[in-house]
Amino acid sequence: MNFSYNLLKSFFKKSFPKPKELAEILTMKAFECEEPQKVEGDFLLNIDVLPNRPDCYSHFGMAKEISAIIRKKAKLAKWKLKEEKKAKVEDFIKIKPQNVDSSICKRYCARVIFDVKVQESPKWLKDYLTVCGFLPINNVVDITNFVMVLLGQPLHAFDFEKIEGEEIKVRWAKKGEKILTLDEEVFELDEKVGVIADKEKPIAIAGIKGGKDSGISEKTEIVVIESANFEKSAILSAKRKLDLITEASKRFEHGVSLSLTPFALDFAAFLIQKFAKGKIAKGKIDVLFEKEKKRVIKFDPQKICEILGVKISENQQLEILKSLGFKKLKDNFLEIPEFRGDVVEIEDLAEEVGRIYGYERIKGSSPKTTLTFPENDIQILWEREIKDIFKSMGFTEVINYSFLPEKAISAFGIPFEKINKIKNPASFEFEFLRPTLLYRILENVKKNLPFYSEIKIFEIGNVFFKENGKVVERNTLSGAILGDKFFELKGYLDTLLSKLGILDFWFDFYQPKFDILNLKVWNKIKSSEIKIGQERVGVLGEVSKEILEHFKIQVPVFAFEINLEKLMKIMEKEQEFQPYSFYPAILRDISIICPQKTLVDEIMQILENCGGENLVDVDLIDIYDIDDERKSLTFRLSFQHKERAIEPKEVDELMEKIFKEIEKNPYFEIRK
Amino acid sequence: MELEKEKEKILREIKEAKNLKELEESFKEVQNKIKTFTQKLKKISLPQRKKLGKEINELKEKLEKEYLVKKEILKEKERKKEEFFDITIPPKKIEIGSLHPITLVKNKVEEVFQSLGFEIVLGPEIEDEWHNFDALNIPSDHPARDILSLGKTFYLENKKLMRTQTSSVQIRYMEKHNPPLKIVVPGKVFRKDAIDATHEIEFWQTEGLMVDKGISVANFKEIMEEFLRKFFEKEMKIRLRPSYFPFTEPSFEVDISCVICGGSGCQTCKNTGWIEAGGAGMVHPQVFRNCKIDPKEWQGFAFGMGLTRLAMLKYKIPDIRYFNSGDLRFLKQF
Repeated sequence: MNFSYNLLKSFFKKSFPKPKELAEILTMKAFECEEPQKVEGDFLLNIDVLPNRPDCYSHFGMAKEISAIIRKKAKLAKWKLKEEKKAKVEDFIKIKPQNVDSSICKRYCARVIFDVKVQESPKWLKDYLTVCGFLPINNVVDITNFVMVLLGQPLHAFDFEKIEGEEIKVRWAKKGEKILTLDEEVFELDEKVGVIADKEKPIAIAGIKGGKDSGISEKTEIVVIESANFEKSAILSAKRKLDLITEASKRFEHGVSLSLTPFALDFAAFLIQKFAKGKIAKGKIDVLFEKEKKRVIKFDPQKICEILGVKISENQQLEILKSLGFKKLKDNFLEIPEFRGDVVEIEDLAEEVGRIYGYERIKGSSPKTTLTFPENDIQILWEREIKDIFKSMGFTEVINYSFLPEKAISAFGIPFEKINKIKNPASFEFEFLRPTLLYRILENVKKNLPFYSEIKIFEIGNVFFKENGKVVERNTLSGAILGDKFFELKGYLDTLLSKLGILDFWFDFYQPKFDILNLKVWNKIKSSEIKIGQERVGVLGEVSKEILEHFKIQVPVFAFEINLEKLMKIMEKEQEFQPYSFYPAILRDISIICPQKTLVDEIMQILENCGGENLVDVDLIDIYDIDDERKSLTFRLSFQHKERAIEPKEVDELMEKIFKEIEKNPYFEIRK
Repeated sequence: MELEKEKEKILREIKEAKNLKELEESFKEVQNKIKTFTQKLKKISLPQRKKLGKEINELKEKLEKEYLVKKEILKEKERKKEEFFDITIPPKKIEIGSLHPITLVKNKVEEVFQSLGFEIVLGPEIEDEWHNFDALNIPSDHPARDILSLGKTFYLENKKLMRTQTSSVQIRYMEKHNPPLKIVVPGKVFRKDAIDATHEIEFWQTEGLMVDKGISVANFKEIMEEFLRKFFEKEMKIRLRPSYFPFTEPSFEVDISCVICGGSGCQTCKNTGWIEAGGAGMVHPQVFRNCKIDPKEWQGFAFGMGLTRLAMLKYKIPDIRYFNSGDLRFLKQF
């Protein structure tokens, strides 16, 4: 909010901090204030008034705050109102209490000023308004704005002759009613918008903006000044309906003190009389529904010290609070100033004392706490472990947006009823919550293709979908590598799962029907399900041609996605040391010719069954096609005995057993 | 004669050896050949044997001499070669992976707070209005609620929303645990915004909460200074400025001495010497009551810091859009 340095200074008699110094004081003790800007004989202070301090949305309010900080009195110059004896306000206009809806308005005051000369404002007035960000219009309107920036009470001036029926009402608008505002915008109103109306029609949107027709013009001679206090809820409701925020509505939304209503009205009338030569009709209209109650709070200096963690004497605390307008009552009670609606509890007092005393004077001290034994979320531990393993395997971690565009959902063929839509997305790029990490991962691959011939990336993050109507959020691990590298990727995942201490994982054939999102992502032939026991925890495989075409990627990409929540449940099991043999191993190679469609796993099973416990390792070291029908597989078998060196004779016997078993199958042939 | 012919060839081989390895190989070969000649001697007549034997011995001696001379020459050559070694040749590229800068910063933050006895807690990214707003003392008629909920919050069906701050996890934790409490909550948060160099719709925060008897602003200062000292690995000054958050009272902005210029003033700190590190305050009594904790008995502080911001400061990353870019030219640097 913009403040004029000169206007703030005008409340103080003697010495006042220089602009830069003032900005610093305010920043440290009250509100953040940007570096003052020089503007024609004045300085502009942009002060970020906190939303719980609407009393400082005015120069006088801010001056009182400064007064508490610099310990000097802030006062408004003396002024006196002169009313005409003959003309009474009631002779002009009627405002019946029953015509003021108390759900919109808490207090409604008005005065009438006649014989007004509407003209350009004096220079000093225009200067103040310009610094505060207002465009000078004419003396009457300028004075209402000036009183608002000075005292914080929004006012409105009507041209009396434009008010039909000489009557003012405060009511909810009717559906279908319209208003043309001062800045020539038409608003369609309804029951959610409070209005000021004459006999016929709305003449202003209550507390927000005036109507054009009833506004002040050069021809205006009789002015009705409105000073009212509108309900926050009514302002909020109209704001939501019309999407309209003004200087007035901002102040009402945060709350304006009720005692200001008549005071600001009188002050405005005084200024209009002085600078627009008006005559003030006798009396003022004042419809007040409920007086503000005096509020008190128990003053507990001990508790305040405890909250701040510093010793400040009772007297010193009291002095600070008094300077902020608190009054000491009996029995250690304080009366809260009417304009400080934000002060309710002892913690609020602690803040007042703390900031004026100076947070910089509070020295850090070690907390005296109870000894506790932190137990971290297990997810943290495992995520770290997984990330470290991927890093050591040469993968780069990515973090992508949780939101996806519609085209992503369509491309993956995910049913829209299974995912979550954002009602108010940032843009069409971010309309849905991702049900898979893979879309953005593939996008990453595409993006990096021009710069890298090798890409290995992974991400850990939440995916979101709907299950039985409920929103589900699930921690997921996903990644991709570039090139025709099924077995390399299978190797990475094998290493990952082994390093995580999972023993019974295996790779099964891919069955699309078990993919809850029915992803079109995978090339079904070159894909595999990752299983632990009988539970499916993820899929790895080649990204389908269709999807690669969507991304315009011309190189094969292999990807994976793993349900981390399932995985972590299994990982919670302890990892145990596996004893190993200290004796030398004997290696033997065996080559088997078999039909193309024979699964390597089938032969491995035979080898492992025949080899028994002394066959400690089987590696497939070579695979090549003999012709269209047959292929050759070469395995390296490692034999070892737990308790002694294994004899070559024993190995020969085992090999013989293996040969026999293999040859039982008429399609297998051993190459010797 | 056979030997004469071989002799020439053998000598040539030794002379022409290009390096020590070749020389050794040739010499071995030569010795083998001589051996075969010697064996042949047994089959011929004595006078011839004598003559030939002598020739072979001479050849042998000559060869050995040649061999030793050549060996010295080659050794000298290699020694000379060893005296010149170009270490400026670019290194062989060794590929290891890299973790996202957010992960690195998050890990560090977690480590430091763990060392201070804090527990690391996580919570859901999809939240309800109670945990994200109401319980945090931001009721629906509150001006702050309007700014956050209408302007900055992504809504799903059934009034579910993407959490706008990790503070929601404070509530979840306090609802389930009795004080004393010491937790930090790292995580993603979501705010509707126009994305630019300093604004993101999705970024990372960490939340901290400490509740015990008599916890004070002074304690917060101590913990914060200790954290910053350990995180930036140097002495850090902090200052607290008054602020307003519905869920803390008193509330403050936490400024730290500028990590770029050290406080003398630069572009990053707009010449103030200070940069904003986050918001903090003493837990509002209403928040305690909302979690069924008695504010008369317990006091505590809470703070929120941007992990993304910490990463930008720590690694001097000028634009927030790098983080979600998936650009390996950025990510592989960490």
